[in-house]
Amino acid sequence: MLSIKNLKAGIADKEILKGFNLEVKAGEVHAIMGPNGSGKSTLASVLAGREDYAVTEGAVQFNGKDLLDLSPEDRAREGLFLAFQYPVEIPGVSNINFLKTAIAEIRKYRGLPPMEAKDFLKLVKEKQALVELQVTLANRSVNEGFSGGEKKRNEIFQMAVLEPCLAILDETDSGLDIDALRIVANGVNKLRSENRSFVVITHYQRLLEYIVPDFVHVMYDGKIVKSGPKELALELEAKGYDWIKKELGDVIEA
Amino acid sequence: MAKENEILEEITGSEYKYGFSSDIETETAPKGLNEDIVRFISKKKNEPDWMLESRLKAYRYWLTLEEPRHWAHIEYPAIDFQDIIYYAAPKKIKELTSLDEVDPELLRTFEKLGISLEEQKRLSGVQSNIAVDAVIDSVSVKTTFKETLAEKGIIFCSFSEAVQEHPELIKKFMGSVVPYTDNYYAALNAAVFSDGSFCYIPKGVRCPMELSTYFRINTLGTGQFERTLLVADEGSYVSYLEGCTAPMRDENQLHAAVVEIIAHKNAEVKYSTVQNWYPGNKEGKGGIYNFVTKRGICLGDNSKISWTQVETGSAITWKYPSVILKGNHSIGEFYSVAVTNNRQQADTGTKMTHLGKNTRSTIVSKGISAGFSNNSYRGLVRIAKGASNARNHSQCDSLLMGDKCGAHTFPYIEIKDKSAIVEHEATTSKISEDQVFYCKQRGIDAEKAVALIVNGYCKEVLNQLPMEFAVEAQKLLAVSLEGSVG
Amino acid sequence: MTNIAEKLNISEKLIATLELEKNSLAGTAHIQAIRKTALGSFTEQGLPHRKNEEYKYSPVSALFKSELCPAKQNACAKLTKSTIAELRIPGLDSHLITVVNGFVSEDLSDYNPNAKSVLVYNTRNTAKHAPALFEKHFGQYASNDADAFIALNTAAFQDVLFIQIADNVQVDKPVVILNVTTTETASLASPRNLIHVGQNASVQIIELYVSIDQNASAINNSVSEIVIETGAKALFYKIQDDCPGLNLITTTQASQKANSHFDTHTVTLSGSWIRNNLNILLEGEHCESHLNGLFILNDSQHVDNHTLVDHAKPHCESNQLYKGLLDDKSSGVFNGKIFVRRDAQKTNAYQSSKNMLLSDDAAINAKPQLEIYADDVKCSHGSSTGQIDEEALFYLKSRGIGSESAKALLMLAFTQDVVNTIRIDALRKHAETLIEKRLSK
Repeated sequence: MLSIKNLKAGIADKEILKGFNLEVKAGEVHAIMGPNGSGKSTLASVLAGREDYAVTEGAVQFNGKDLLDLSPEDRAREGLFLAFQYPVEIPGVSNINFLKTAIAEIRKYRGLPPMEAKDFLKLVKEKQALVELQVTLANRSVNEGFSGGEKKRNEIFQMAVLEPCLAILDETDSGLDIDALRIVANGVNKLRSENRSFVVITHYQRLLEYIVPDFVHVMYDGKIVKSGPKELALELEAKGYDWIKKELGDVIEA
Repeated sequence: MAKENEILEEITGSEYKYGFSSDIETETAPKGLNEDIVRFISKKKNEPDWMLESRLKAYRYWLTLEEPRHWAHIEYPAIDFQDIIYYAAPKKIKELTSLDEVDPELLRTFEKLGISLEEQKRLSGVQSNIAVDAVIDSVSVKTTFKETLAEKGIIFCSFSEAVQEHPELIKKFMGSVVPYTDNYYAALNAAVFSDGSFCYIPKGVRCPMELSTYFRINTLGTGQFERTLLVADEGSYVSYLEGCTAPMRDENQLHAAVVEIIAHKNAEVKYSTVQNWYPGNKEGKGGIYNFVTKRGICLGDNSKISWTQVETGSAITWKYPSVILKGNHSIGEFYSVAVTNNRQQADTGTKMTHLGKNTRSTIVSKGISAGFSNNSYRGLVRIAKGASNARNHSQCDSLLMGDKCGAHTFPYIEIKDKSAIVEHEATTSKISEDQVFYCKQRGIDAEKAVALIVNGYCKEVLNQLPMEFAVEAQKLLAVSLEGSVG
Repeated sequence: MTNIAEKLNISEKLIATLELEKNSLAGTAHIQAIRKTALGSFTEQGLPHRKNEEYKYSPVSALFKSELCPAKQNACAKLTKSTIAELRIPGLDSHLITVVNGFVSEDLSDYNPNAKSVLVYNTRNTAKHAPALFEKHFGQYASNDADAFIALNTAAFQDVLFIQIADNVQVDKPVVILNVTTTETASLASPRNLIHVGQNASVQIIELYVSIDQNASAINNSVSEIVIETGAKALFYKIQDDCPGLNLITTTQASQKANSHFDTHTVTLSGSWIRNNLNILLEGEHCESHLNGLFILNDSQHVDNHTLVDHAKPHCESNQLYKGLLDDKSSGVFNGKIFVRRDAQKTNAYQSSKNMLLSDDAAINAKPQLEIYADDVKCSHGSSTGQIDEEALFYLKSRGIGSESAKALLMLAFTQDVVNTIRIDALRKHAETLIEKRLSK
């Protein structure tokens, strides 16, 4: 589904991703962990196509297409979803209208007929329940006046509505209390299927207790330095990131 | 809600949609302006002497004035007032009794504009009823629902008809809010106005439907000078809509209208405009000069006048719909969205003059500039001495799209009463790249994202419009800004 | 003379009675040329007309009713070193330069003329000292055509006070310009300053406006040009106190080069009719400007503060805060404009004007304006006018504070954020004292 090979990218002459490699197959959940500044959020931004970042080397294949060749909106239309770490507020644009526009655009791209209004409302209601998002979406603007937790739940809710085949969760757990974390994780777990993959970016192991990954990767200085099964997350939690740095140091010294 | 989406889907053709011209048989006055032309217009309309006198007085006064060219933030070559046709009317309109007699080409014109002059269509439709007064070039061609409204005592007819049928009302109120001495274009209008709408809502009557006037300039080289007079008697309510379009032509055409509103005790008038005169082409050739004087007076206590405008058209817009808050506890509102693109220029805003006690006014202005355009808010809030406990809040926001356009804010605040609380805020910004990226990540392309964000930005104003108009306005916003996304 | 003058319009009359033609033949060739151009400009413009948008709320015709002669150099007998000493700011060690009726008075000044850090000249000895720098900058910033009063000053000035701070010099103590008006007859004084702050230099300047026994029709029309070179920093305080009955027009034209910093305060507590024009051109990148203003008016005082911040280059920041308290029959104007040119991307500009009317006869006119031609900017302004917060007043009273002192306290609080930004301690304390005194009147 997603194949990243030797990806190098940065911002304003500063290289942040320094030869990043990752293979994600359908249905898999990959966790990417790493200390602050290791390039986790840059990876999410580059995959989603944020223009501020320049890709200098490498290739990304997404469902057989060259992802880097697609515009951000076409990446979304191909089924790539990014749950933002800091979802932006769009005053005056209602959530419902926003989602309706997005669905219409995505369906048009895929050659599907427009969705009937009643089907859309049904879908929204159903998915809202999934993330226990109780706000009246019709009247409220996108993310405006939402609490931190509501913003994150709104991201998962949008993911549920748009049904992507690959979802990247960029530090979705940051700023969430334990209840909100459980709700968000439940939402994600319900969306897990054999056709849908997840890349979960997180700083802490905590989220991975709820969203159990198939693989855990440790990112440091712009690339993956260690990969392993879900237990790696626990080990990291116990030993801290210094352990990795030290191990790397040993490698370098050796 | 479903509407909004439809709209966004419809936004494809970026050309001015109403730019066709119709081949309607018209009768025109010779070019130029002199006393004979004023007499000609008056005679054409079979006006009583007092009306002709009033026109001549205004004309003679106008002759003493100089064209105001410097104070507004707009630039244009001097207008040759002798190169304008001051009267043009579709032929055969006199003895109309039913739609069958209307020139079919004219009916088609209005159909193309999406305005139905057939009452039945509206009745069977899902939309709420709207009574329409259609004005083409200089003359009102058809007013719908007159009978239905008459049952409630509401007078809704063309201005010419009102001069004939209700001279006492016209004499009493015409020029009482915008006297011919008010400004250059008000004087010109008072001299040569050809038609317009008149509306009177009697005491205690809530007008059961939206009233609307649809203006269309059709004939080449004509100016349009209409006059609207709205009188809301004690305790009445009316919502009034105004729409305008014009054919695409290479030369500039002048539109100098006057609108007067009188709200008596406990009356409320809501006046909404969607202005979509031809803005000229991308290089700024052609387009309408829209120099309009609009003013209402809250004459009685507890009266309210609310202006809402969505200005997307015209090469130049120069208008300041105003409210004189004379009655105690009266309320004035001004909600505006002005979009300029390419070479358009807009200098628009409002004047709120607080005279009565405990008066309140609200100003919300959203200016959006793109291309090479200039967009200015100019507004006056005046609190007279003795107008105790006056309140005003003004919010003027400007959005710049691209680095070749300008966005300006020129508020004037004059306070002579110590109990006044007046607040003015203004901001200038551009659409945030984060917002656009967020939309893109959800599959929405840049152009649609901008339309979505701009509509959101203007929500507070669009919400003030009646449903049908809001839909129209949203479409217009998106169309006006097409091609402005870099 | 009078007979001829009667037939002329007010501006022509001024030109005659002020002997501007004659004045334009005085001084060096450089100065003569500048005066001649200014005279031409003034002749063409005349005094601001009633319809002049910039003078909409401050018509000037009433000021020029009397026939004005040029203000004379010879100071009145009362003006002695000891009177001057009393006018100095308590507790402030400063360089003092006294200007009387537009003439620099060496006798009444107190600074070290040989100090290398601050060089002070007036036009009578400029030619000897620094003609190149003076000639390069003088008259290059305040444009005659922009305002008739600039043209009038340029045609009529006698001395130019030229303060030069050399590159990299941090001036040890504030420079105080004591601007005294004292004329027995109806006259026009035209003080003129040129301040040049060299690269990476820094200086604090305080301009004090004082009047002593001046004729009620006397007018002081001053112009200051301030050039702040790359990396330099200038603090400029204008204190208009102790000048009852003075008709005053001041124009400050500042030009900032890259990475410079300019901080101004305009505090008006006294005077009859005052117009302060403060124009700042940000012509280098990464400049910072702060414009603070405070006016406390009573009787029939009129004060008009006009500001123009012209952002010509990217990455600059400007910040304006003007506050007014108006009592009795006084009237105030705040007219501020933020102008952002096409190239000035990444501009941050903010402007705020807050006023309080304390009497039924007081009036305030505000015209905060934005004129923006660049899109990637953050610009905003706010203006509010209101009264003393009744809730707060009640709260204070409930704690046993009398109504009058409670009001004074709240008014003082209203002025606080402007006063707090005064960076010279002694001046801030002085201002606080003056304001407190003023508010307890």
